[in-house]
Amino acid sequence: MRRLVILALLYLGVQLMLPLGEQGHGSEALVTFGFLILAAYTVGELTVRLGLPKIVGYLFAGMAFGPSALSAVTATAIGRLAPVSELAIALIAFMAGAELRWSDLRVSGSKLVRMLGCELLLSLLGIAGLLVALRHWIPFLVDVPGAKFAAFVLLFSSIAIAHSPSVTVALLAETGARGTVAKSTLGIVLLSDVAVVLLFTMSQTLARAIAPPAGVVALPSPAVVVWEIAGSLLVGGAVGLIVTLYLRFVQRELMLFTILVTLFGASLAQATHVEVLLTLMTAGFVAENVSHSERSEAMRTALERSAAPVFVVFFALAGAQIDIREVVSMLPIVLPIGIVRALAIWLGIRIGARWTRAEVVERRYVWMGLVSQAGVAIGLVTLVSSLYPEAGASMRTLLLSLIAVNQIAGPVLFRRALVRSGEIDNPVAPDAVSRPAPAMSLQ
Amino acid sequence: MAGPFVLIVIVAGAYLAAHWAFEWLGTRYLIVSGAEYLVLGILLGPRVSGVLQVSVLDGFAPLMVLAIGWIGASVGSTFYVPQVVRSYGAAYRVAFVEALLALAATATFLTGALAWIYQLPLADTVAPAVALGAIATVSSPAGVAMLRRRLVRRGVVVRQIEVTTAIDAFVAIIAFSLLLCIEHSAPATGPRAPTPTEWAVISVAIGCVGGSLFHLFVGNERDIDRLFISIAGAVILVSGAAAYLRVSPLLPAMLLGAMLGNTRRNRSEIRQALSRVQRPLYFVLLVFAGAAWDPGTIAWWILPALVFVVVRAVAKLGAARLAALFNGLTDSLGRRWGRALLGQGGLAIAIALNYQLFHGTMLLPDVVFTAAIVSVVLTDLSSARFVQSVVGRYTQPVLDAETPVEPSSALQAERK
Repeated sequence: MRRLVILALLYLGVQLMLPLGEQGHGSEALVTFGFLILAAYTVGELTVRLGLPKIVGYLFAGMAFGPSALSAVTATAIGRLAPVSELAIALIAFMAGAELRWSDLRVSGSKLVRMLGCELLLSLLGIAGLLVALRHWIPFLVDVPGAKFAAFVLLFSSIAIAHSPSVTVALLAETGARGTVAKSTLGIVLLSDVAVVLLFTMSQTLARAIAPPAGVVALPSPAVVVWEIAGSLLVGGAVGLIVTLYLRFVQRELMLFTILVTLFGASLAQATHVEVLLTLMTAGFVAENVSHSERSEAMRTALERSAAPVFVVFFALAGAQIDIREVVSMLPIVLPIGIVRALAIWLGIRIGARWTRAEVVERRYVWMGLVSQAGVAIGLVTLVSSLYPEAGASMRTLLLSLIAVNQIAGPVLFRRALVRSGEIDNPVAPDAVSRPAPAMSLQ
Repeated sequence: MAGPFVLIVIVAGAYLAAHWAFEWLGTRYLIVSGAEYLVLGILLGPRVSGVLQVSVLDGFAPLMVLAIGWIGASVGSTFYVPQVVRSYGAAYRVAFVEALLALAATATFLTGALAWIYQLPLADTVAPAVALGAIATVSSPAGVAMLRRRLVRRGVVVRQIEVTTAIDAFVAIIAFSLLLCIEHSAPATGPRAPTPTEWAVISVAIGCVGGSLFHLFVGNERDIDRLFISIAGAVILVSGAAAYLRVSPLLPAMLLGAMLGNTRRNRSEIRQALSRVQRPLYFVLLVFAGAAWDPGTIAWWILPALVFVVVRAVAKLGAARLAALFNGLTDSLGRRWGRALLGQGGLAIAIALNYQLFHGTMLLPDVVFTAAIVSVVLTDLSSARFVQSVVGRYTQPVLDAETPVEPSSALQAERK
C-alpha cells in the first residue's frame, strides 16, 4: 500500500514536471522508463500477494501506464526504449539455453519431441479449422479468394501455435521450480521455438507459392530456410564456444560480459541472417554444456543476478505495447481461438504423454505451461504484415490481441500447474524473484 | 557486416585488452584503470576510426545521462552521516578550504585566460571557466583506494585524502549544478521562465523529494536483486527528470544517493546494489565521452587544454598547502600533500560531458570537454603514484579504519 501511494505521488510529480521541460537526449524516455520500472516492481509485488505471478503484474503495470491507458509512458518513449527490450529478449534466450543440459536432453529428448509433435499438430489443425468456421467474422478472411484464404489461414495458424520461452524462463526463475512439470515444460517450449520457426518458414514458402504477395518479393530458397536454422546452430555454437573460452581463461566481470555477449550474438545473428533467439539459445546451451560445471555455475549466477531487472523491463515494456481497446474489441473472436488453442494443447499433450508413457503429472499439467505467447510470435506477425500489407494489418491486430490474452492467462495457468503438481512450496512467497533457480534438469 | 556487430567486436576486444593490460600494469606499477577507456572511445569515435558515428552517440544519449546520474548517486552514497560526524572537523575544514580555493583560483584565472585566447568579453568566459573550475576541483578517489588495499593501516594523510576527494566531489557537483541553474535556457512553454534560484530549488527538490520517496519505497528491503530494481528505477527517474528539465542530473542524483545511503538497516545492501553496475556504466561513460570528443583543429584546443592542466596542478597544490596552513596542519599533512589530489577520474568526465550535452547558450563546450579529457588522460593513470608519493613520505600512525583520526597536536589542543 505504501508503495502504491508513493507510486501515485511519483505519477503526479512526473505529470507536474512535464510542462516545465523539453525533450532531448532521450530524457523523456528515461523519466518514463524509470517510472515504469518502479510501477512494474510495485504491481508485481502486489500480484504475488494475490497468488499471481509477478510477470503478470509487470504486464498489468505496462498496460495501465502505457499509451492506451494512463499514458505515463508514451509511444515515442517506447520506441526509444526498443533496444532495451531487444537486449532483454536476447538475454532471456541466452538464459533459456543455459538451463538445458545435454545429458538430460539425451534421456528425455525423444519423449519431449513426441509430446511437442502431437501438441503442435493438434493446435495447428484446431486453429485452422476454427478460422475456416469463423471466416465470415474474421476481417482478413472475409471475401478472400480460395488460394489467399488458404495462405492466410496457414500463416495465422503457424504463428498462433507458438509458445513463449521468455514467460517460461521468467516464471521458473521467479518460483525456483525445478520438478518434472517445470523441466518438461521448459524442454518443450525451447524445442517448439525451433519447430515453430521451421513450420512458419515452410508455411510462408507455401503461402507465397499459392498466393504470391503484391510487388516483387523473392521466394526463399530451401537453402535459405536450412541456413536460417542450421546457421543459428552454427553461429550460436561459435558464440557459446567464445563464452566457454572466456569462462576458462578470464572469468571476470561476468555480468557485463553476459550482456556484451548477448548483444554480440544478436548482432552476429542479424549480420549472418540467422534466427536471433535460436542462436542465443544455442549459445547458452553450448556454454552451459561445454564449460566446466563450476564455471558454468558462475555464469548462471551472473545471469540470475541480471534476471530480475531484465524481466521487469521486458514484461513492463511488453505490457505497455498492448493496446487495451484493440484487445477488447477483438475479444469475441480472440476468445474462441484462445480456447480452441488451449484445448488443442491439452489434448495434444495428453496424447503425447500417453504415447511416451510420461509421468502422470506431465500428462495433467504440462499443457498449462504452454499457453503463454510472446516474443517469437510477435516477430513472426511483423513478418506477415510486411509480406501481405492489405490483410497483414488486420491479421496483426488479431494475432497481437490473441498474444496479449495468452500472455496474461499463460503465466497464471503455468503457476497453477506448478502449484498443483507440488513443485512450488509456497505459491505466494514474497521473495520469489530473488530465489536462485538452479539449472533445469530434464530427467 | 553490420555496423553494430563490428562495434561490439571492437569494443569487446578492446575491453578485454584494456582490462588485462591495465590490470597487469596496475598490479605492478600502481596504474589506475580508467583513462584507457577514454582513449579507446577517442579511437572508436568519428574523429579517428568512425566506428561510433554521431547517430550512434545520439542513440546512446539516455545511457550517458544515466551514467552521469549513477556517478552522482555513487558520490552521494559515500556521505554516511554517522561516519562523517565521527571524523574530526579539521579534516573537513581542510577539505572544504582546499576545494573552494582550487575552484575559485582556477575559475578566476581561466576566465581571463579564455577571454584572452579567444578574444571574448570576460562576461562570456565566466561560465566555461566556472565549469572548468568545477572539473579542476575533482580529485580521483581511485588512487587512494588502490593504495589503501595495500596498506594494512590508515593514517592521518590517507584519511585526509579520502575526506578531501569526497568533499572535492561534493563542491564540484554543487558548483557545476548551480552554474547550469544560472545559465539555464528557459523552456518554450509556461507563463514565465523560472529564475536561477527556482531552478536550483527544483534541482534540490528533485533529489530531496526523490530521496525521501525512495527511502520510503525501499523500506526495509534487504534483498539485493529487489533493491537493485528499486534503486535503478529511482536513479533512472531522477536523472531523467533532471535532464528533462535541463538541470544537471549530478546534484539530484547525489542527494538521492546520500539519502538512500543513510538508511540505517539496509545501507550496505543499498551500496552493493549501487556498485553493481557502477563499473560497467563508468566504462560506458568513458568510452562514449571519448567518442563524443570533437575539438576541431589542434590550434583551437591545445593551448587552453594545456593552460587548464597547468593551472589546475598549481591551484590544487597551492590550495592544499594553504588549507593545511590555515588549519595548522602543515606538520601533519606535509607541504606537498596536495599531490595526492592531482589525479582526475570519472566525475570530471561526467561534469564535462554534462556541460557538453546541456550547454544551452553557454560558450566553448568543446574547449571545456577537451580540457577535461586531456587532464584526465594525463593524470588519472598516475593518480595512485601521486598518492604514494605523499603517503610514503610521512609516518603513518597506527589506526583502525573506523577509528577517528587524531591528525596532529594542533587538533588535540583544539579538543582540549
